Amino acid sequence: MTDSLDLKIALQMIPWFNSLTPEHFNKTAELTHLRHAKAGDIFFREGDKQDYVYIVLDGRVSLEIFVPHHGKVRFYTAEPFDVFGWSSVTPGMRQRTAGAMAVLDSTVACIDAEGLRNFAEIDHDFGYLLMRRLANVVASRLMVTRLQLIDMFAGPSEPIND
Amino acid sequence: MTTTLIDTAAHSAGHNDKLLLPHWAEIVKIIPEAEGVSTFHFRFTDPTVQNRYRFEPGQFNMLYVPGYGEAAISMSSDLETAGGLLVHTIRHIGNVTRATSRLKVGDVVGIRGPFGTSWPLEAIEGMDVVIACGGIGLPPLRGAIYRIIRNRARYGKITLLYGARMPKDLMFPAEYEAWQKADIDMQVTVDRGDDTWTGRVGVVPMWFYHFRVDPHKTAVLTCGPEIMMRFVIYEALARRIPSDQIYVSLERNMKCGQGACGHCQQGPYFICKDGPVFPFKALENIFNVEEY
Repeated sequence: MTDSLDLKIALQMIPWFNSLTPEHFNKTAELTHLRHAKAGDIFFREGDKQDYVYIVLDGRVSLEIFVPHHGKVRFYTAEPFDVFGWSSVTPGMRQRTAGAMAVLDSTVACIDAEGLRNFAEIDHDFGYLLMRRLANVVASRLMVTRLQLIDMFAGPSEPIND
Repeated sequence: MTTTLIDTAAHSAGHNDKLLLPHWAEIVKIIPEAEGVSTFHFRFTDPTVQNRYRFEPGQFNMLYVPGYGEAAISMSSDLETAGGLLVHTIRHIGNVTRATSRLKVGDVVGIRGPFGTSWPLEAIEGMDVVIACGGIGLPPLRGAIYRIIRNRARYGKITLLYGARMPKDLMFPAEYEAWQKADIDMQVTVDRGDDTWTGRVGVVPMWFYHFRVDPHKTAVLTCGPEIMMRFVIYEALARRIPSDQIYVSLERNMKCGQGACGHCQQGPYFICKDGPVFPFKALENIFNVEEY
């Protein structure tokens, strides 16, 4: 009972859950559990097939890809209220393309992605809200990726005559 | 164009032939900051010049390296904090700035200035301030940070968003703790981390997602790569911060420093004279134009 109450209180703080109807909120809460991770704990590795989408409540989680001869390259950190592992919610994406590890002690809401997908299929109002929020996550992640890809802090490509 | 530009008292006298003549200054200290970046502390060799030299944070000098030429470099401290010395943080990237990388303590360079507009630190008193900078964009704001810290009670919440390419590229890391103790909410991020980095990985504009602003009482000061500033401005405008409360520092190939030669002309402005610090409202018509 206490765990369930703690979970609901935690979920109410998440902007992602704002404007959900009580029915949608309760259904999502049923699909969610909290995980308290220590720094260094792994959420998933590249190639894993586990099926959760995560929301950071507290702490910091790094997303990283292993690059041969470069080791693990950390390309993003999820901060409080950031979503990670979002590709689980999209149809057809079932294998992790990056790893996720707590870099600080972290509390994370882990949502059963298959349950979310199924509920979205049954209740399209919920499905629309879910996909709209997901689109925002993807758009922001794309913006970050573009700016990293541009390598904006690199020197100019042409000689400077200062 | 009726937008009010920043009026910096030290520069408002306009054309000044005396500012075409450099004064000699001796290097008294050099601090390596990151790969290809060093901070130089200068003292004018003429005590009269040293005693009367004043500037405002955000302004720049023309540094003359004999045999190579001049480069426009922003002040990266203020006189009070630097014990009266003139401080410039230089990225050794062009022919003149690469020449500065070979200078040693005791060498002498020519300095003309100060030029240009400054951060509007009096105009934004009473407001919350978001300082969003990246890479070598922090040094031109460091003097403003010092000034704000010395007058901390005059400002609301101060948030400093700073990004760099890699952890080793961060400028002035030894000062972050003192800034945080001065009630500055400092958020540092890097584009790419390694497994020893426990800080944030991402880009500066995205940090606007992580805090709420009161748009009518928030000012934004931004300096860094123009692509970064473009997205910082986008995020600030998306949060309804008025464009005349967003201040941008632009960098161009400046030569005379007085708006006479035209090297740094950008639309209706000379960056050296009307800038480098502009209210974004003055740039709206040109800033979002491709290849402006």
